[in-house]
Amino acid sequence: MVEILTSQVVSGLATGCVYALIALGFVLIFKATDVVNFAQGEFVMASGFISYTLLIRFGLSYWVVLLVTIVVSGVMGVILERVVVRPIMDAPIFSIVIATIGASTVLRSSAGIVYGYDVLPLPTIFSKDPIRMGVLSFTVMDAGVIGSSLVIMMALYLFFTRTKTGMAMRATAQSQTAARLMGVSVKGIFSLTWAISAAIGGVAGVLIAPIIYLDPNLGVIGVKAFAGAILGGFGSIPGAIVGGMLLGILENLSGYFFNAGIKQVSTYILLIVVLVVRPSGLFGAVAVKRV
Amino acid sequence: MSRRVDILPVLAILVGVLVLGLSAVTLADDGITDKEVTVGAGLDLTGAVANRGVNIKAGMEAVFNRVNEAGGIHGRKIKLVAYDHVYQPPKAVINAKRLVERDKIFVMMGHLGTPTTKAIMDYLGEKHVPNIFPATLASIWTNSGKWHIGDLATFADQTGLIVDYLVKERKFKRIASFYQDDEYGLDGHQAGKARLKHQYDRAYAVEVDYKRADIDFSSQAAKLKESGADAVILQAVYREPPRLAEQCHAIGYHPLFIGVSAIVLDKTIELGGKHVEGMMGVEVYPLPTDPGAFLDLYRADMKKYFPHLALDTTNLYGYQKAALFVEGMQRAGKNLTRDSLLKAIESIKDWDPGWGLKYSYGGDNRRVMSRAARLVSVKDGKWTKASEWMELQETGRK
Repeated sequence: MVEILTSQVVSGLATGCVYALIALGFVLIFKATDVVNFAQGEFVMASGFISYTLLIRFGLSYWVVLLVTIVVSGVMGVILERVVVRPIMDAPIFSIVIATIGASTVLRSSAGIVYGYDVLPLPTIFSKDPIRMGVLSFTVMDAGVIGSSLVIMMALYLFFTRTKTGMAMRATAQSQTAARLMGVSVKGIFSLTWAISAAIGGVAGVLIAPIIYLDPNLGVIGVKAFAGAILGGFGSIPGAIVGGMLLGILENLSGYFFNAGIKQVSTYILLIVVLVVRPSGLFGAVAVKRV
Repeated sequence: MSRRVDILPVLAILVGVLVLGLSAVTLADDGITDKEVTVGAGLDLTGAVANRGVNIKAGMEAVFNRVNEAGGIHGRKIKLVAYDHVYQPPKAVINAKRLVERDKIFVMMGHLGTPTTKAIMDYLGEKHVPNIFPATLASIWTNSGKWHIGDLATFADQTGLIVDYLVKERKFKRIASFYQDDEYGLDGHQAGKARLKHQYDRAYAVEVDYKRADIDFSSQAAKLKESGADAVILQAVYREPPRLAEQCHAIGYHPLFIGVSAIVLDKTIELGGKHVEGMMGVEVYPLPTDPGAFLDLYRADMKKYFPHLALDTTNLYGYQKAALFVEGMQRAGKNLTRDSLLKAIESIKDWDPGWGLKYSYGGDNRRVMSRAARLVSVKDGKWTKASEWMELQETGRK
């Protein structure tokens, strides 16, 4: 019983880490540019197909594939920002949201046209064999996904706190005008933010696609991640991470204790409860309006 | 006086012609001319079971293309109009209305998915559009009146076979059910439950459900393991069995997985690899690699019209549907109506298209054309036959 519960928590945490990575992508773009990018899930899907092509069609080694996928995903993010978002930056926020939804449909359909809508298996370096450590029971894959996600999160943390560019990005998020006055290229920062978000989505894709198989509808996972980001407090980076992880664990446990129907809605029940009790989410800053 | 006598017969003839003309107009069914028959289909071409939809469509078209090239049936070519319902019932309803009211289809043919076909069932009945051989083997099509007719042994019947095999031959004590929580999964799930109870005075060790298009089954795997079941019956499609097996193996649980015919396709093996080795399933028609004149024709047609598609149970599924439909059309003759087509299909008895299995109409309370089935299992990465053909007995859902 204890062993089964711990395995549920660990595998939930592995899925949760992937949610967290995608949620991070949402939050980074939102913080820097005030745009909610609904194509974030499609970055994940696209990177899955990029790595599939490199791995299966070109037969490259896994690490090369990972690196190339991250770079290509980053470039894709920049292209999306330049072509779709930047020209309408002054349009009402709804227009931008619709534009990103449109971009997500275009990406999904393009993948369908090129690769078909069939489900494809994607190999991974992490084996799915079980490991036992006392009451802990998990697979190499779980450990690999959790480990890789933590490395990415750590790298991001260091980037934002220790590098000049990282600090410039944070400054831009605080106040674009002040950042511009300090000599920060705000437009450059926008592009970089999109690149980083898409690249993180790319990592998430490479991690999740072998687990849940690859198909053009893979991007719907973005919806769950979005819920994770809101749960943590939209706009908060630690919130996105914790929110995503919590969601993964909650899903597994509710599926275990109840049934598939409850598992499906548990995410949203928790979300509603948290928002009722704490409207800004778990880690969100409480907005105070002085009248 | 003489004038009136002249006019009356003329009037009578005129009225008669008019009435005849009008009745002919109202009697003629949609979707049929002397040159063409329009057949509609709702399939999943881009969603969770797109593999099935794309392949079933190709299998049906391979038959229709060959028949059309040879001049059609009684001079009529078959035109297939297929729309994508993404395996979503609301979309299936919109598509069905579009097919019936705008495209004026003669019949619905090979409509994919149990929940999606159930959603349009009443509508087709109201419009008197026959629902011919839907690509779902739920038992609902076999006893829902004249507008619906199934082709092969139902999921309920197949599950009866599985339960008998597990209890009698394998002597398993604990049997679990893993099922899709909708009209599809429930068909076999409930039939199995009834079979266990009435035949063997037992119950499932555990009943575990999942939702359409779910992708993670770790909690289901945990529950199955805890139940200690020796075998897990799968009422699933092709994406879930490999993933479930993988997740069961990850927690050190290795039961026998055995599923209905919906899991028997190469995709299951492609996705699952070593995790599905030994998995069993029920086949309700021969494998694409089996011998037989009909299968030679199938292989030739697929190669000719869809050279990029691999031979698979899914396109053979569509192919045999279309072949059976064509046989019905042949029998219906030149004066084709929806009624005459249904009567013609119902007249099929002991018809072997050339693969050793015979189609026979099962009667008004059991509207299927075949009840043949056999067991198969995954051996060295291939579906391999594990039993001889048998005729399935009735297994009710109650």
